[in-house]
Amino acid sequence: MKNNGILKENKIIKRLFKYALPYWKQFALVLFLILIITGTSLLQPKLVQIMIDNHLMDFSGGMTEDLLNEELSGVFKISMLYIGTVLINFVATYSQFWVLNKAGQSILLSIRQELYDHILDLPMSFFDTNPLGNLVTRVTNDTENLNEMFTSVLTSLFQNLVSILGIIIIMLIMNVKLGLMVLSLSPVIVAISVIFRNAIGKVYDSQRKVLSRINNHLSENISGMGIIQMFHQEQKVYDEFDRADREYLKESRREVKYFATYRPAVEMIRSIGIALLIWYGGKGYLTEVITFGVLYAFIEYIQRFFYPILGLAETYNIIQSALTSSKRIFSLMDEKSSIENAEDPIFIDRFKGKVEFENVWFAYKGDDWVLKDVSFRIKPGEFVAFVGATGAGKSSIMNLIVRFYDIQKGKILIDGVDVRKYDIQSLRRAIGLVQQDVFLFSGSIERNITLGRDEVKRDDAIKAAKLVNADNFIIRLPKGYDEPVMERGATLSAGQRQLLSYARTISTDPSMLILDEATANIDTETELLIQDAISKMSKNRTMIAVAHRISTIADADNIIVMSHGKIAEQGTKDELLGRDGIFRVLYELQYKQ
Amino acid sequence: MRAYKTILPFIKKTWHHYIVGIVLLMLVDVANLMVPQVLRMFTDWAQKGQLNVEKVWICVMGILGLGIFISIGRYIWRTQLYGTAKELEYWLRDKLFKHYLILDANYYKHNKIGDLMAHATNDVKAVSNSMGGGIMMIIDSVFMTLLTVFMMIVTVGFKITLVALLALPFISLAIGIVSKPVQKRSKDVQNTFSELTTEVQENLSGIRVIKATGVENIRSKGFSSVNKKYRQRNMDLVRMNGLFHPIIDLFSGISFVVFLVFGSHQILTGVITLGAFVAVINYLHMIIWPMVALGMIANMFQRGIASMERLNIIFAEKYEIVEKENPVEIESPDGSIKFENVSFRYEDGLPRVLENISFELKPGKSLAILGRTGSGKSTIIDLLLRLYDVSNGKILFSGVDIRELKLEQLRSSIAAVPQDSFLFSRSVADNIAFSLKEPIEIDFIQEAAKFAKVHDDITSMPDGYDTIIGERGVTLSGGQKQRLCIARAYLRHAPLLILDDSLSAVDTETEDEILQHLRELGQSLILISQRISAVKNADHIIVMDEGKIIQEGTHEHLMSHKSGFYRTLYDHQRLETQLDQKLRREEAVVDEE
Repeated sequence: MKNNGILKENKIIKRLFKYALPYWKQFALVLFLILIITGTSLLQPKLVQIMIDNHLMDFSGGMTEDLLNEELSGVFKISMLYIGTVLINFVATYSQFWVLNKAGQSILLSIRQELYDHILDLPMSFFDTNPLGNLVTRVTNDTENLNEMFTSVLTSLFQNLVSILGIIIIMLIMNVKLGLMVLSLSPVIVAISVIFRNAIGKVYDSQRKVLSRINNHLSENISGMGIIQMFHQEQKVYDEFDRADREYLKESRREVKYFATYRPAVEMIRSIGIALLIWYGGKGYLTEVITFGVLYAFIEYIQRFFYPILGLAETYNIIQSALTSSKRIFSLMDEKSSIENAEDPIFIDRFKGKVEFENVWFAYKGDDWVLKDVSFRIKPGEFVAFVGATGAGKSSIMNLIVRFYDIQKGKILIDGVDVRKYDIQSLRRAIGLVQQDVFLFSGSIERNITLGRDEVKRDDAIKAAKLVNADNFIIRLPKGYDEPVMERGATLSAGQRQLLSYARTISTDPSMLILDEATANIDTETELLIQDAISKMSKNRTMIAVAHRISTIADADNIIVMSHGKIAEQGTKDELLGRDGIFRVLYELQYKQ
Repeated sequence: MRAYKTILPFIKKTWHHYIVGIVLLMLVDVANLMVPQVLRMFTDWAQKGQLNVEKVWICVMGILGLGIFISIGRYIWRTQLYGTAKELEYWLRDKLFKHYLILDANYYKHNKIGDLMAHATNDVKAVSNSMGGGIMMIIDSVFMTLLTVFMMIVTVGFKITLVALLALPFISLAIGIVSKPVQKRSKDVQNTFSELTTEVQENLSGIRVIKATGVENIRSKGFSSVNKKYRQRNMDLVRMNGLFHPIIDLFSGISFVVFLVFGSHQILTGVITLGAFVAVINYLHMIIWPMVALGMIANMFQRGIASMERLNIIFAEKYEIVEKENPVEIESPDGSIKFENVSFRYEDGLPRVLENISFELKPGKSLAILGRTGSGKSTIIDLLLRLYDVSNGKILFSGVDIRELKLEQLRSSIAAVPQDSFLFSRSVADNIAFSLKEPIEIDFIQEAAKFAKVHDDITSMPDGYDTIIGERGVTLSGGQKQRLCIARAYLRHAPLLILDDSLSAVDTETEDEILQHLRELGQSLILISQRISAVKNADHIIVMDEGKIIQEGTHEHLMSHKSGFYRTLYDHQRLETQLDQKLRREEAVVDEE
């Protein structure tokens, strides 16, 4: 895929941000909820601290009933506050998750749609050079990767920062010395996390690579299993697979080892932290600088302090992968259509059907000329057949009339107007094009004929099917016109598929028809139906066909024989047969078959 | 759990790792439970005013000592349990791939590559996960729960433990309840994702039709509805998934508050000490994970069992082609073949592909098989190589029934060039030398390439013989692929060489040269083709149609039947040659202009 200029990271983020902008209210709500969540969860240890210090500490055995009740009601009040934080937390956490994901999914929805619509608008030449699989991946997997960017990065960044700040503030307010002591441990945690992240990132990276090697081995060897068994090379193939498999095991072991080191290391730091708290706190308690509840709260906070730091390290990785995907998506979105609509396009419903090629030169790539200085003229209502060997340029002529490509030199006129002046979609809708390879979509037979076009009703579909002799086999299907097309029409015969594509094209009753005849072998019975359909379709309209069948050629008013991008012979069937040219041999060949 | 019988051999080999892992996991659990006891000691000393520097020191050392033990223990159990699980993953994948290598052609005809790949990655992983994380979860949820409850009872007595824990089983219950729909909904999300992928794939494949009919907008709407459905499915999942953490926090919060109220009462009435109170708070934190694990176990093992069952089906898959016990091994096979009344069908109930085929090929002679696609030509080769076994009759190779023969000898005595010219994504040299077990000198590879007239093509590739072929390398033309396959077969130096339509994409002159080379080799030769030019010089020619031999004899003999299939085909192909020549002449004229 061509990359139009390098997309800078901050530019990508800006563009991503633009998609999030319509949802700013949701994001604002999410941030507000995060504040509440963080606040309530940080409040919890504080409440217990107050409870311990105010109500549970000064107990010395015998206590009067009144005092007991007083303390208990204090405890009860704090407990109710606590349960309040639990409930608020519950509601806020769930709502936050929901609102955030809803916004994230909606953003993805619109990015996916925009990208897909953009791809559909790209010219044919784009599809010739870009593998289908890559394009599919852009629309599906790459947009999926963005999901985390919107749902997790932003919020986890915010949540973790707020938590860290909140804990630091609470700790410093409760006790500066202890607070600073806990803080002093954070660089260690950060360092360990960063080291671990880098190490495990590399492991994951090579794991991914090895896994894709394993997958390649699998897919290739399974599809080539016949060859492997034929040549009795199982051992060799096994050895190669095993090498990749073992490497994967090695990487997995490394993963286990890194985690087995990292987790305990964090745990150890925490133990050190608690030990330090007890050491300093214990001494502070002895000198009555620190209350017991504060000590308790600190032990709680130290547990909660580490998670956000670990979380921040995680965020970095997500951003990286999302940026890679965004880059791919945006560079595809920046791909410009080389076939642009004219500035003041002419909209057209029906052509009279005059086609002129004036000294047309055309190449798909560079100066690999497919058409060299081709000129011809087709009168309205005429039936012209193009004949010639594969690669002679016949199909290119068809592609040019509907402007799948633009020519390099010369002129193509329809009804006396340059094709580039017409609105592209209206041009294509006004011309019926039957392609060589029939493509059927999933959906019903009817849907495959109408293609969902408003102007084509069910009746039109049936009428068209009847005209092209498709109705007969369609009504014999279990559900008739509502029969679903399975696996791109694999259950239909090649001839039936062709008849369907004729019906699809003729259903709008276009005044111009372009037919790129298929070469596939078809049983004689269907062959006759096809012949009949073609001759019926050619009535009352301009018909231009790339013809392989003798019957199609015989019906034509004019035959143009193409050879190596040039017109070699031209004339009626009888004229051409009178000459000792290409056509005569072609004719004999078809006839013999 | 019965399904897990398959991995018994692995468990037998590695049980000591599991034992060490499990024992250490338990010890770490115990150590973890001791930490609150240290805090309890500290608190009680503090509250009773017995705390002094020495006692603070004891507590600090206790915390640090436990921390060190936990860290080391955790490292060990993680490497033991998870490491072994990774070994299991390797072991299973290895077993599976070995099995793939012996399954026969018939199996691959009925199973999709994608599925077979998924078994080797996803299913293998699911089993391995259940035997790593799954075991850890069982130990934690059972042992840790019991131990924590025990410690709580010891610390604060039975009654208060019961009250405090009342809310906690709801965590397991809720997670158990939520897991099922979460899993179902993730599956829905996945399915809709593939629906989305299919939609994109289908429309991009049919882009020509879409553009030709100008229905971009309609297809965009179609995509939009799948796109929206995907968002909906995701939100369905979010709604369930979002419950996970809030539920855990809610019930643990409730149980915490319940304990705060009751515990405080007990402190104030002198039943328990503040230290015990603090310890239990810690225990309440600790028991959350086992409760969560308890909820997840069932699901994890369900998945593991389902995957294991899928794998077991493959392992139980019988392969029809089995070598006989004590197979015959011929000293030096002469490359002769005899088919005696061979009939074949792929499966019972399906029509016969071959019917009563008999022919003979003497050592060093050549045999040609001619026929349309689907006439059964290629099946003869599959049978000869024993990719399938005959349904009736028998095949003799060098005078021995191939079912008696050592499979390796049979296959290594035949060098076949199959129709579909399958090449592996490796270097050209590797592909040519694929049939050899040991690496050989490049000279021999070049000799083979020269034999197949592909040497010049190779030297003009970017990296010559080291050029990688396929998706990640250069794309080859059909003719180049075919010639590489011939070079690959040549290197086998086998007494019998088979070419299955292997020159169809090669131009006639090169074809003639290669055929000449083949004849000079003096090995037995079978040529399968649709082209008369390729078969006419064979010692014996068989013409096949619909699984039967309809004509046989030498070229001259077959030509004498004026209305025979062979003669008709000959006439047709002669015309094609004429046309080719005419076109060339035309080209020369065009170029002169």
